[in-house]
Amino acid sequence: MKTWQRIKNSPAVLQRYLVREKVIDTIRSFFKEKGFKEVFTPTLVSVPSIEPNLEVFKTQLRTARGVKKDGYLVMSPEFSIKKLLAAGVGNCFEIARCFRNEEEVSRLHNPEFTMLEWYRVNADYTDIMNDFEDLFLKIVGRNKLNYQGESYDLSKPWERISVAEAFSKYAAKDVLKVGDEDFYKIFFNEIEPALAEKKKPFFIYDYPVSQASLSRPKKEDPRFAERFEVFLAGIELGNCFSELTDAKEQKRRFEKDLGERKRAGKTVYPIDAELIAALKSGIPPVSGIAVGVDRLVMLAADAENISQTLFFPANEIFNL
Amino acid sequence: MISVNAGNITKGMYLIYKGEPNLVTKADFMSPGKGAAVMRVKYKSLKTGSAIDFTYKTNEQVEVADVDKKEMEFLYRAGSDVVFMNPKTFDQESVPASLIEDKLGYLIGNLRCWVMFYKGGPIGVALPPNVTLKVTESPNEVAGNRINAPKKTVKLETGIEAQVPIFIKTGEKVMIDTGTGEYLGRVK
Repeated sequence: MKTWQRIKNSPAVLQRYLVREKVIDTIRSFFKEKGFKEVFTPTLVSVPSIEPNLEVFKTQLRTARGVKKDGYLVMSPEFSIKKLLAAGVGNCFEIARCFRNEEEVSRLHNPEFTMLEWYRVNADYTDIMNDFEDLFLKIVGRNKLNYQGESYDLSKPWERISVAEAFSKYAAKDVLKVGDEDFYKIFFNEIEPALAEKKKPFFIYDYPVSQASLSRPKKEDPRFAERFEVFLAGIELGNCFSELTDAKEQKRRFEKDLGERKRAGKTVYPIDAELIAALKSGIPPVSGIAVGVDRLVMLAADAENISQTLFFPANEIFNL
Repeated sequence: MISVNAGNITKGMYLIYKGEPNLVTKADFMSPGKGAAVMRVKYKSLKTGSAIDFTYKTNEQVEVADVDKKEMEFLYRAGSDVVFMNPKTFDQESVPASLIEDKLGYLIGNLRCWVMFYKGGPIGVALPPNVTLKVTESPNEVAGNRINAPKKTVKLETGIEAQVPIFIKTGEKVMIDTGTGEYLGRVK
C-alpha cells in the first residue's frame, strides 16, 4: 500500500507527515530573525561535487538548437553558495533539494533529500555549534526530546569533544595513527556508543587533516582541520567546516579527490574552475554547515525511518 | 562457510557475530564524504534475545548463519508453545511463543508461515505479509463525518483488536497487515 492510500485509510497518520512543514517554517523564521538571507541556487548544474565516496545523478541538457551539455543534480548547494559568498551576499542559508546516487535506500537515506546549509561570515565553527543548538531547540520546542522510546536531554551546552580526545579516551588510540579506512568503524563501535550513553546530543570536532574535505587547517595545530559533526540518538545530523578559503589549497584537494576517484575506477569529473576563481577573487572568513532536514523531521516526528516522513519515499516510487 | 559483503547486509539476514547467530533487525549504510563507507548493523541475538549494535566497513566479509527455512502451517497453541505442521510430511514442530512475540494475534488455523531453524532448533517464524481474520465483536455504528474516513475498534477472531472503517460489521472478514497491524481491506 502506498503512503497516499495509507493516509486515506487512516487519516490520523497524516499528522506525522505534516511535521515537515512545521520544521521548515521554523528553520526559515529562525534564520530570518537573525538577519540571514535566504538564497536559491540551481538544482541542475554543469559541474558536480567530486567527493570520492559519493555518486552524482548525471543527465544531459539539450537546447532546441541542438547544443548538448552534461548536467548533474546537485549533491549539495555548497559550490554555488560559496560563489555568492565571494560576491558579498553575507550571512545566508538555503533549504535545497539534493540528490545522491548509488547509495543504499535505507532508514537514513533517500536518494532525493532536503539539505539545509547556512553560512556565517567572520565566524568560526564554534559559532555554528551555537546556532545549531539554538535551531534544534527551537524546532523541538523544549529541552527534552522523546525519540523511539528514549528521552534525550537537549539543555545547553551540549557536549563538545575533539576527535583526538574521543579516540584516546574511548578507544585508547591516537587518531593520527588511525587510517581513514578504519576511522568510522572505530568511531561507531567504540566512540559514538560511549558518548551516546549520556542521552544528550554531542559535537565532535577537529578532524585529522586527511578528512578535512573543504575545511581549513587549525592555526595552532595544522595536523587537524576545523570541522565538526553533530550526533543525536546515533544519527549524524550535520557536518560543519570553518571553510577553506585558500584557492590553491582547494585546487590541490580537488585534484587529490579526483586521484582517489581514478584509483577506485570511478568517473573522473572536471573541477569547478569557477569555484576556484571565486576563492581567488577573495571570500570573507566563513563557516558553514550542511544539515539533513529529513533527519531533523524524523526526530521531531518520532519516526523510525525517513520514509515515514515523506509522502512519496523513493522505495515506493521505484518499488525498491 | 558462506559469507556476505558487509555492504550488502540487509534487515532480516541471519549472520554470525562473535561466534553466535544473530538476526539483523536494522542495517544502515553510511557513506562519509571521506574515509571508508560503513554499514551500521543492529543485531538481535538468537540465543539471548538481546540487541547489540556493530559497525562494519562495507568491504568486510561477514559469515552467514546457516539458517534453514521450512514452510509450515499453524496448528494450535499449547501453553507457552505454538505448534506448526509441515503440510508435506505432517511432521510437527513446537516453537516457543516468545519467538513470535507480537505476531501471535495473526496466527489463524492453517496459516502458512516460514519457520526458521538453526542447528536443528526453531529460532523464529516469518508470517505472510497479510492475514484475513473474521470480526467477532464490533460496536454499533459510531457517528462520524465521511470526509475523514472515521475508524472504530473491533475485536477479531484471534482475540486481537484492529482499527477498521465504520462500515465493517460483525461476521465480516478483513485483511490485516502483519507488519503494522493496519486494516488493508474488506474480504468478501
